[in-house]
Amino acid sequence: MALLRTAFAALIRALAGIAAVLFAAAGAMLTYEVVARYFFTAPTIWAAELSQLCLIWGTLLAMAWALDARRHIAVDAVAGLLPDGLRRITEAAAMLAVAAFSAVVAWHGYAIFATSFARGRTTGSMLDLPAWLTELAVPLGFGLLGVQALIEIGRALSGDYPRPREGGAE
Amino acid sequence: MSVVWILGALFALLLARVPVAFALGGLGLALLLLGGFSPLMAPQAVLSTLDGFILLAVPLFLLMSNVLLKGGVGADLFAAVQAWVGHWPGGLAVATILSCGIFAAISGSSVATAATIATVAIPEMIDRGYDRRFVYGLLAAGGTLGILIPPSIPMIVYGFVTEESVIQLFLAGIGPGLALMSGFIVIAMIHARFFGGAEPVPAASWSERRRASARAAPSLALAALIIGGIYSGAFTPTEAAAIGFAASLVVTGLWLRTLTWTGLREAAFDAMATTVAILLIIAGAKVFGKAITLYRIPQDISVLIGQTIETPLAFILVVSVVLLVMGLVFEALSMVLIMTPVLLPAAMGLGFDPIWFGIFMVVMVECALITPPVGLNLYVIQAVARARMGEVARGVWPFLALMLGTVALLYALPDLALYIPFKL
Repeated sequence: MALLRTAFAALIRALAGIAAVLFAAAGAMLTYEVVARYFFTAPTIWAAELSQLCLIWGTLLAMAWALDARRHIAVDAVAGLLPDGLRRITEAAAMLAVAAFSAVVAWHGYAIFATSFARGRTTGSMLDLPAWLTELAVPLGFGLLGVQALIEIGRALSGDYPRPREGGAE
Repeated sequence: MSVVWILGALFALLLARVPVAFALGGLGLALLLLGGFSPLMAPQAVLSTLDGFILLAVPLFLLMSNVLLKGGVGADLFAAVQAWVGHWPGGLAVATILSCGIFAAISGSSVATAATIATVAIPEMIDRGYDRRFVYGLLAAGGTLGILIPPSIPMIVYGFVTEESVIQLFLAGIGPGLALMSGFIVIAMIHARFFGGAEPVPAASWSERRRASARAAPSLALAALIIGGIYSGAFTPTEAAAIGFAASLVVTGLWLRTLTWTGLREAAFDAMATTVAILLIIAGAKVFGKAITLYRIPQDISVLIGQTIETPLAFILVVSVVLLVMGLVFEALSMVLIMTPVLLPAAMGLGFDPIWFGIFMVVMVECALITPPVGLNLYVIQAVARARMGEVARGVWPFLALMLGTVALLYALPDLALYIPFKL
């Protein structure tokens, strides 16, 4: 069990690294697009679509790691005031809610993917990629997130919950 | 009265520390299921959010800011500005604000702006005998220029959820940004005049000025490239972000040679983490927004506001107070995403321009970033200066007052925002 958890942690950490590379790659493709357009008057047909694919896959694959690393944004002001016992329970309940949400989204996301896959639906854009290529990221990402949320329930109950303010956005 | 219990449930989830993204998405999904609507809308909303080309600008602007931060361009920029204005009364404080303003024209994030300039400006100012609290407040507040002066991540997000033009929002931020920056400079000079005590800095020689400016030139060129490129229509905001990222790599990696591999890795990883957090909140807000629209919540609130609040002035006053109070405990971007769909229909009903309203929201977000107990910029300054939270928080009050003054000015003079995008 401990081995499985270590392996899972390594997996989501690796996926987060891949996400970072995908975002940087999106930057490279779009820069190439602008340079090709202005200097060689040869705009690409692939840069916009492939960079979008990087954004979709990167974000969804890194979600589970962000939960593990406590990088999702949450409102700490009130929860931080609770005594330890109560704090463990609310945190576990919060993670149970995340797990339930992930399970439902993963389930319906899989249905969308499976339909597209079976019918061979495509995006109808320049590259006309198969639609399932993006849709697959939803069940995978939310599936991983659900597993991580279940792990977080155990962490919360044992007293390992996020301390005030560890990450943030803009 | 579904408005009350839906908002009640949302606040309960948020205060129980369910991450904002999943609180919004989960409640939205529950509402869809309860109302007998198709739950397929939830994964579709996630996909359609991440499929937005404009949102690609978020990771790319963050990558650029982070690369510049790790490459240490803050020091060059500050040194150059200081060489020109350092000998003025309150010169270092003025240089700090000008540096924040210039970096804001490169970066779309207030955290990156505060961190980049604070790292160099805080030690320098404290060495010269500036009052600590004033220094912390100045940097926390100056950093918020990052999201008012274009580019700006909150404006990209606002433009995305309201389907307004991000370019117009960017242009509308310039006027209020310059006004706020001037206000900060006035406060800095008044502080120097009446509370002085800081050791004056001798005027730099012309050769020093030339040398310092040359070293900061790439950063200035980058700002000009981004704003000029977007304004002239040469490239979209997303492409500008990509080019900015590439250019930041050239500047710090090849020209200044200050960027290390470790620095680059950290920059990329950190940009990724922040991007994931931001984009998922937007996706969650999209699911929530779809659900509340099906329950007709924005329309109900709009009617309610129409019945109770008669004048635009009363509306803005009430909304400002609500946002200010929410900003005490809420993370700023989440606040925009929760409140915009609820408030914008009512605001437009009262005759407000959606671009103007976006700028108003951004200034209110700036306030939220520096109001304790939860204000992201306070944490940044606390971390950079290794200061006590209380000291940082007490230093921001004069600047907060100035920001609220800017809101009043923006209300009295809407053209401060709207002149550049619509009348120039």
